[in-house]
Amino acid sequence: MEVNLNLFDLASQQARWLSVRQAAIAGNIANANTTGYLAVDVEPFSKVLDATSVGIKATQAGHIRGAGEAEGIAIRAEDDPAVMPSGNTVQLEEQLLKAGEVRRSFELNTAIVKAFHRMMMMTSRA
Amino acid sequence: MIAGIGALNGQITGGGLTENVAGAAGAASGVGASFASMLEQAATNTVGALQNAEQMSVKALSGDVQTREVVDAVMSAEQSLQAAIAIRDKIVTAYLEVSRMAI
Amino acid sequence: MDALTTALKVAASGLNAQSERIRVVSENLANAQSTASVAGGDPYQRKTIAFAAELDRATGGTMAEIGAIDTDKTAFPVEYMPGHEAADEFGYVKMPNVNPLIEMADMREANRSYEANLQVIRQARDLISMTIDLMRSQ
Repeated sequence: MEVNLNLFDLASQQARWLSVRQAAIAGNIANANTTGYLAVDVEPFSKVLDATSVGIKATQAGHIRGAGEAEGIAIRAEDDPAVMPSGNTVQLEEQLLKAGEVRRSFELNTAIVKAFHRMMMMTSRA
Repeated sequence: MIAGIGALNGQITGGGLTENVAGAAGAASGVGASFASMLEQAATNTVGALQNAEQMSVKALSGDVQTREVVDAVMSAEQSLQAAIAIRDKIVTAYLEVSRMAI
Repeated sequence: MDALTTALKVAASGLNAQSERIRVVSENLANAQSTASVAGGDPYQRKTIAFAAELDRATGGTMAEIGAIDTDKTAFPVEYMPGHEAADEFGYVKMPNVNPLIEMADMREANRSYEANLQVIRQARDLISMTIDLMRSQ
């Protein structure tokens, strides 16, 4: 029998991860013309879930301290990027696409939470 | 989470409520039995729909799932739940009315 | 600090940086024909802007800062204008090393980046709104 994760907890975790990702994307876009700036992204959500259950925060080489540190979500530079003559690796279209993904996931997240919250309230009503 | 909703199921099928309703139907025990089974069916469907909705939501949150599937699952769970609650309320009202009848 | 608020601050710094860039470009364009006032003197020298990424300790966000506003050291092109007040003894006038085509391309790039930063601000603001809306009853 699969463990019944608390849905609201999971949604909370994903919302936090999405917010950190949004901050990383914002940093990329703001520094799209900064010489030598390397584009960053957060580690995948599945890694965050695993880390939470094990309780370890891994630090790796190339680890960049960012908004997610306090929450235990690692941010690191993307591997194998396309480097421009200035040393900058940010591609605006890619970043905007990722921002779109964040938005979609966030909307689904809040909608799910709202629906289940509604259902919980329904059952406890007289 | 499903435990909270499961209590609702218990109210409808367990707890002696359906037996009372079936008993109150008197000699037409055949009607009572099918009514009870109908209620049981409705409650089971609700719990099933809720479990499905929860599973789909967990999958959607931790990975990638067709958006429409999740939305459909959650909506049908809500519909099912709403119906079950309406039935529960009607039963409770009916029971109270019957219990108030002068003997 | 809340990551979404950090995103807002970071995007705002990006807007600021791009605005500065647009300002520099418009200065260059406006002075594309500005010669010296003395004979043989140097004309307007093209300005360049460089950005720097700065990690804000408080929020954890990587802000975009103005690194330096420098001058372009490329040689001045010369034009033959004997009667000009800035003409040297051979009649040549040094013109600003501003190429309007390059400046226009830079302006377009700056606009694109500005729009992208604006998009981030809109989205971050919307996500915060959605979160607060969860509490709303209907």
